[in-house]
Amino acid sequence: MAKEKAKSKQEASEKTEKTAGKVDLELDLRGLMCPLPMVRVSQNINKVPVGGVIRAVATDPGSLADIPSWARTTGNEVLKTERDGKDIIFLVKRVK
Amino acid sequence: MNKTELKTITGVLEQGMNRQLLYYLDVCTRCSICKDACHQYVSTGDVLFLPAYRAELIRRVYKKYFTRSGLFLPSLYEARESDDRLLDELYRSTYACTGCRRCMYYCPFSIDTTWVLGVAKAMLIAAGKGAQILTELAGAAVSKGENIDLFKDIMLDLNKETEKELQSLIGDSKATIPIEKEGADILYAALAGVHSILPPSVIFHKAGLNWTLSLFESANYGYFLGDVEKGRIIAKRIVDEAKRLGVKEVVISECGHAYRVMQYLYETWAKEELSFGVTAMVEIIARLIEEGSIEIPSGKERKIVTYHDPCQVGRNAGFYEEPRYVLNQVASNLRELNPSREKNWCCGGGGGLVAQPEFDEFRIKTGERKAEQIKQTRAGLVVSPCENCRLQITALNEKYDMGVKVTGLSDVVANQLIGRDIATSFEAGQTEEPEDED
Amino acid sequence: MNWLSFLLAGVLVYVAVAVFLVGTVFRVYYWLKVPRSSIRLGIFPQANSQRGRFLQWARDTFLFLQVLDVDRPMWLFVILLHIGGLAAFVGHLRLIQEFTPLATALGKEGMGQFSLISGGIVGIVLLVSVIYLLSRRFKSPYRDLSTPEDYFLLILIFMVLLMGNHLRFFGHVEVEAYRAYVHSLLTFSPEFPVELAESGTRWVLVTHVTLSNLLLIYLPFSKLVHYIGTYAVNLVRSEAR
Ligand code: SF4
Ligand code: SF4
Repeated sequence: MAKEKAKSKQEASEKTEKTAGKVDLELDLRGLMCPLPMVRVSQNINKVPVGGVIRAVATDPGSLADIPSWARTTGNEVLKTERDGKDIIFLVKRVK
Repeated sequence: MNKTELKTITGVLEQGMNRQLLYYLDVCTRCSICKDACHQYVSTGDVLFLPAYRAELIRRVYKKYFTRSGLFLPSLYEARESDDRLLDELYRSTYACTGCRRCMYYCPFSIDTTWVLGVAKAMLIAAGKGAQILTELAGAAVSKGENIDLFKDIMLDLNKETEKELQSLIGDSKATIPIEKEGADILYAALAGVHSILPPSVIFHKAGLNWTLSLFESANYGYFLGDVEKGRIIAKRIVDEAKRLGVKEVVISECGHAYRVMQYLYETWAKEELSFGVTAMVEIIARLIEEGSIEIPSGKERKIVTYHDPCQVGRNAGFYEEPRYVLNQVASNLRELNPSREKNWCCGGGGGLVAQPEFDEFRIKTGERKAEQIKQTRAGLVVSPCENCRLQITALNEKYDMGVKVTGLSDVVANQLIGRDIATSFEAGQTEEPEDED
Repeated sequence: MNWLSFLLAGVLVYVAVAVFLVGTVFRVYYWLKVPRSSIRLGIFPQANSQRGRFLQWARDTFLFLQVLDVDRPMWLFVILLHIGGLAAFVGHLRLIQEFTPLATALGKEGMGQFSLISGGIVGIVLLVSVIYLLSRRFKSPYRDLSTPEDYFLLILIFMVLLMGNHLRFFGHVEVEAYRAYVHSLLTFSPEFPVELAESGTRWVLVTHVTLSNLLLIYLPFSKLVHYIGTYAVNLVRSEAR
């Protein structure tokens, strides 16, 4: 079961890479509690070039609203949000 | 710094002027009695964190621009231009303050440094120097309020999952976590995350309350940021929801500052009177036990348990007896921190510090007192009804090797109600897929 | 009285008292003019009853026992300084009107003795307290927090005390002479009695009075405005319910 899950996770990540192109930075935010997932994305956004993409995996349900809202107010863009079991995967593009 | 910037700053000072602030600015004798009250000064020895010095930075700007004597005898007061260096110092000393108000307790003039720093924050924001992460967090919360329809479906989905967990926890497949339930008595404003939703759900369910869960989290980063307008809008999301649903009471999750905002600040910020009562989670648990709505099974926990009074729950809200009453029902060996209650040391994580990585090292350093205090009790479990405190003490636990578990009051009570060890944590997905446990 | 004494120990006294009174009123007006925030800033625990609240306020204002937890010597010297100040004030009233019952009970000699000892003790205690407060400010972190105003005020008070003690211990001038001087002030015709006018002590007195005048004038505009501010500010502490 656990192995299966890992596999499906891999598949999911391959899928997102295909749909969204290149990922410049991977962030594993699993286990972090609100508001830290958003904080980490914010801290790391300047590490990718403008136009670059962060793929962040979080487990905190609060991030589902937080990260898109953060992107909206800071002028960045969430390309995609998807769920895979307990994981929530965000593709965040640095716009400016 | 150019003229217009300077003008905004002094403008803020003028607008933010109120009688209490004026008292504080005028009355402090710089006696330094407050210095040993502040955990941050005590553990760093840096004058920048001496409460009166923090206020003194603002006082200097104030004297410079607002009093005759400061104008005529600038050198006598060392009044200085509100230059960039002053702003940088102000930034560090202001945003570091956890708002614990322990200094106010010890000051012979009861000077509320936090209140004075409120102006500093407004000045910094006006100068474009508000704490960045807090600004973004507050911005996100405001935006979430404006676009709630975009998130509603996801949230309802998530809630279904949490509901399932509740059902399996209490063994009742009909148990629900109502959202947007009109005519509910109680609106519960949680934090994002099941750890803040499940335990109260268990308690409310067992007590048979007519309640509903808020779409919005109780945390208020506008308050930490010191942006009254954003703080108001963030709190208003819950107020509006409460009014729309017609609830009688809003219960705030175990989150100290959120309670302070709702109970003490919102009405003034919004210039409106709340049509419902504001209750802290610790308060309602005590009430439910007292009136017999929930019954704590006998068979008390015998391990040593200690209680950390969160500053916003104890000193700043007055809930000293309630949590102790509840804990004494649950555990037979409750050991007090020394000192505790109104003299309790701040954990070091308040004021939004736990959310700001720039303060990570600082807050671990300034939490050393707390770590020591907890170690002294030899407790294995630390209970504290504030998310900030728990995050901080959890971090301290790691760094200082304290060997404790950290939990909330509702967690402890909910665990008792469902017959689990009181230290069990409520995490997402715990009850899902039991076949995983092989 | 020569013109300098007349100016400093005469006219300036009236000016000082007037500035002090008007300044105090102005200070209160200045506070009341600014709208107060309706946010309740008090801290807990809070008394439930009106009476309890009053007692708590009085305790916070006059005893501030919580300070004992963090800075015992400071508490002690601050309390001594304030009690001493009060005692000195009361003692000076004798220059307006002899405390007759006490004087009759003790006799002239006894009263002189009593006044020398009690006044002397108060003077010394005050001096020691001020020296403590002042010396503290030369050490870090107190030094970093201190402003010129803090030193100025302490040195001013120190000088006033020094002169006062000098008058008490080395003045060799009888109380009646001072009383005559105070009475001349009260009747708006400032004059030194012969006994004082011809003594070298006169200059110590003039300095004592002049510095006291300066202190009085500065009081309402300095940080020492806590002589009225403390009542209000400790009331804020108990506003929470
Ligand atoms: S204890 Fe109060 S009066 Fe003394 S320095 Fe601190 S804030 Fe000022
Ligand atoms: S409120 Fe707390 S952290 Fe802030 S200055 Fe006072 S004692 Fe220090």
